[in-house]
Amino acid sequence: MPRLSVSPSSKPNCSPVWLISVLLGLLAIHTNAKDVLTVPQQVILSANMYTQHLTISWLGGAATTFDLMILRTELNETVFYETVSVTMNQVSGRHQWNWTSVEPLECTSLSIKIRSRDGQTTSEWSNTQILQGSDLPSNEKFQMYPQDRIVPVGANTTFCCIVEEGLLFGTIRYGNTVMNTTRLSRRSFATTVVNQELSGETGTNVVCFDNLRTKLTGAVVFVGYPPLPTDFVCETRDLTSAVCQWKEQRDTNLYRKRGTRYSLNKRNCTLSSPEEKQKECSVAQWEGNFTLVAVNPLGQYSLTDSAEINHRVHPVAPDNLTFVVHAWNATVLWQWEYKSYSSLALDCQVELASQGYKTRGVPDAPDVWMWMNKDYTGQVIWKPLTQRQSHGLITGYEVTLWSPEVNFQHTELFSPDTYAVPVNLTQIATRSSDNKVMATVIAKNAAGVSQPASVLIPLRLTDVEPFTVSRAVYTDRGFPLFWQRNPNDTCAYVVEWYEASCKWDCPVEWIKLAAGNTNVTIKSANLQPGVRYNISLYSSSSEAPELLQHWQGYMQELVPSSSVLLSTTQHDSDIVLTWREIPLVNRRGFLLGYNIYISGGSQLTLLANLSDLESRSYTVKGLSQGLYNFTVKAYTSAGEDKGTTASITLEPYTDWLILEILASLGIIALLLAVVTFICYKKRKWVKKAFYPDIPEPKLSGDWSRSQGPLNVKPSPHSLVHMVEKPEWDSSKEVLVVIPEEDEFEGDEPVDTDEPTSLRYYNQVVDERPIRPRFPDSSDSSASSLDSACTDVTYTGIQTSGSSLVFQLDPQGSSEGQQPQADLSVCGGGGGGYRPQMQSRAPSDDIGLASPEPFLEPQAASAGGYKPQSSWHFDSPVDAGESGGLALSLGSPTSVASTQFLLPDGEERAEEQRQPSSSAATWFTNLLSSTKP
Amino acid sequence: MAARRTRGMTGGSDLSRATVARATAIAELLRYECSILLELYRKKESFTADVTVTESRLVSVPPPSSQLETRDKLWCLHSALLQCRSFLERAITKEEEQLGGGKKGDYETQRKMVKERLSLLLINTGELLKTAGGVMILTPSSEGLELDGPTILFELKLWVYRIFEEVDYWTKTAITTLQALPSVIAKERARTTRVRSTRSARR
Repeated sequence: MPRLSVSPSSKPNCSPVWLISVLLGLLAIHTNAKDVLTVPQQVILSANMYTQHLTISWLGGAATTFDLMILRTELNETVFYETVSVTMNQVSGRHQWNWTSVEPLECTSLSIKIRSRDGQTTSEWSNTQILQGSDLPSNEKFQMYPQDRIVPVGANTTFCCIVEEGLLFGTIRYGNTVMNTTRLSRRSFATTVVNQELSGETGTNVVCFDNLRTKLTGAVVFVGYPPLPTDFVCETRDLTSAVCQWKEQRDTNLYRKRGTRYSLNKRNCTLSSPEEKQKECSVAQWEGNFTLVAVNPLGQYSLTDSAEINHRVHPVAPDNLTFVVHAWNATVLWQWEYKSYSSLALDCQVELASQGYKTRGVPDAPDVWMWMNKDYTGQVIWKPLTQRQSHGLITGYEVTLWSPEVNFQHTELFSPDTYAVPVNLTQIATRSSDNKVMATVIAKNAAGVSQPASVLIPLRLTDVEPFTVSRAVYTDRGFPLFWQRNPNDTCAYVVEWYEASCKWDCPVEWIKLAAGNTNVTIKSANLQPGVRYNISLYSSSSEAPELLQHWQGYMQELVPSSSVLLSTTQHDSDIVLTWREIPLVNRRGFLLGYNIYISGGSQLTLLANLSDLESRSYTVKGLSQGLYNFTVKAYTSAGEDKGTTASITLEPYTDWLILEILASLGIIALLLAVVTFICYKKRKWVKKAFYPDIPEPKLSGDWSRSQGPLNVKPSPHSLVHMVEKPEWDSSKEVLVVIPEEDEFEGDEPVDTDEPTSLRYYNQVVDERPIRPRFPDSSDSSASSLDSACTDVTYTGIQTSGSSLVFQLDPQGSSEGQQPQADLSVCGGGGGGYRPQMQSRAPSDDIGLASPEPFLEPQAASAGGYKPQSSWHFDSPVDAGESGGLALSLGSPTSVASTQFLLPDGEERAEEQRQPSSSAATWFTNLLSSTKP
Repeated sequence: MAARRTRGMTGGSDLSRATVARATAIAELLRYECSILLELYRKKESFTADVTVTESRLVSVPPPSSQLETRDKLWCLHSALLQCRSFLERAITKEEEQLGGGKKGDYETQRKMVKERLSLLLINTGELLKTAGGVMILTPSSEGLELDGPTILFELKLWVYRIFEEVDYWTKTAITTLQALPSVIAKERARTTRVRSTRSARR
């Protein structure tokens, strides 16, 4: 029903009259439409139970579109509900629609109703028409549908079982398979068999049981094929009637009344042996055109044949064969079964049998050829004579080898089943200057001997392959060969072929061709697929056969039967694959190339395709370390062989390791050289930075003129500055002399008259216990301490006695001995300066380390000299270790020398005791020696 | 003359005993062959054990009774076997017509063998019946038998199966009947001899 909704908010001023009129208008339209769509009347159902077609016809007026609804009456289930377009039959005035049911129409009752449709408008439904099924209560029997159905292979068939009234449904079995079922009605159950396979010869049984299996019913279904006749051909034997033959390509699986019916030119054929595959049917008159129609319940197939009768004569054997035999000839007489044969041009073949009669013919000359190995041995071979060529039983062969030049002739007899005899021409070849030997073969039968058949055997064999080898391509008919004809040649030809892999006494086949031929097609039943044949063309003349052309070919190329022999090697970081050629016998085709694969898991990845057959190696580059599998497959036009796989583990390249080590060493050496060079170049700076010169002591007053005891007074202005570095390490504490000139270099003029200002730095220096090179500092310091009258400038104080060795200036050292002589002069003074040599104790280290010498000058001195005992030892370890040496720290030296006054011999002894200090000494010397 | 008759009587008794023995042996062979035929048929038609034919007998003869005389028993047996053969021949023909296949196999061979063995048994039971003085009349006649068989193929298959089972049943019955015959014959002969002796004495 059309609806009109009116919104209160819309157009409140709209006239209600207008709205009512619209409403009425719509109602009128709707009523009109209903008037046009007439309800279908007189619905008639017509069912074809076998085809399961239901024809529905009705009176539908002008409507062309209808809704059809088909329901299963009992369960009210919709089977079909669609809108269909149906035009009215102009004659009957009715509409008709055909529907094919999936289930047999007997399975259950169907209700059908129809209504007309025009767009969205429909009429009322027609009265329901019911197609009654076989499951009505009045039909109480146990039933199954469809019965005796014949379906093609692959079809789907729905069967239904109507259970007997009073029983309950059990199962449906198709053959031996229990099927799933669906319920169609109270008593009806259906199952569908899909993609049906060939049934048995007596069909497949579909059996339905009740639940107790006390009763059953069933149906038989035949599954087969429609007919498919082939090779239909008609012939005549009597030149009047036609006998047509054909074959059934497959068994239809349908027999007897369901079997195939044949008709020839619309006349039924009665087959004499219907079960035979070869069928035959005759028609009384030759009609020129023949049509065979084969029909069975699943379909039909027709074949035609057309021919003139003379082209299809199948001769029958002669009748009443008689002979009139004379001494030297015989007459054969016969009759034809059909008179029409008298007008037929027939070739008659008469075979003479030797039953009781002697044949008179001598054998034909055999076809002779030869095979020569490369050592003057070989074979003379000939083809067996056919029965026709033999003219009776062959009794043997006579083979003669003959060389006229050396007057050689040798004849031998062979049995009739001999077709090849070995020959050895070595002796003849050495004796004869001729190039050939003639072999002659004669066949013998009872009537005599054949004409001699000869072949010239060349004696001068050459190993040279004079011709390029062409490829012969096999076709359906054989190997077609072509060659150029030399106009001057009048010779015949021989074409021979044999397996290319054969090298010795090969089974060769040949064909002889007359002069003038330029092509031939080689055919043989002996040709095998996958075998390479050498095919040679020889001239056949009065001279020995001459090879003119050479081919190779395969009847059929196959994939190689074996694979290459593959090996892998590692070259540097690359992998080199090398393989050997496949033997000729195993190639089974012309090799076209090699495919190289790398296999990852089960998958092969093509690396390269090598079409150059000569290159049988391949280098795989750019691989990282690891295990690799490589497969090489040779291929022919037929495809690849199975391939050979080789594995290789790519190892790290050892040469690289060696190179890396060498390179590292080289770099280190270079660095050392650079450092050395820099040190050399900057030796001055290095010396200043690490090994500064100890400034010479400055002496106030004139020391040279006074030889008497010196009243040494410490300079009142001697200053000792303690300078601490923040990074000072107590374990390596030293006091380093800062040279005066360095300290004031460039800034202030050096005032040598002024008391020396000493600064003591704690500085890290070599810890090695380098002994003093010059007179032991402890000695000197101890000695100098004894001297109270010497004006001493402290030029260097270090916590380690070894540091005192860095008296680098040789000049200074030589100069330093001068004051020693001077000092010795004032040794007599009670509190004065004592020469270091005099105060020398038996022990270098300890004897002089007595504290007393320190005290004496302290007491004796007037206060200008600051005693060393007042110094603070920051490193008690060093103090402890060095023992007396520590006590010598700050040992005064002579103002004339920064060196301590020890003899050279002591120095050497010290050097020997302290070999570890030699390197530093050497380095020091190096730097010193380079001092400008 | 008397001696000849006596000889003839003796010969007749011997013939009966031998015929019974032969008929029994043939029946036993037929039963074995029937079982094979049924097995082949079940296999061919995929009939499992639950496919049973339980309807009433196809062959109609008077109900067997221990009160029947040997001649009547033989007559019943012979009549039943005759009907069986008629059914079997009809079944073979119908089966060939409706369900015949392209090739002949073991089933067809066995079917033929059973039919021929049944004929042989019938010859022997016929001889026995003749010896017993029975009349070889088929009751009911061939025309009275429902030999047409069903037209629906599945029902035809069940019908054929029923016929094979019928042959099997009557073969077993034949064995039972024939095995019971020698003692019966002996008793009857003894009684007959007594009667004759009495009559001779009276004369």
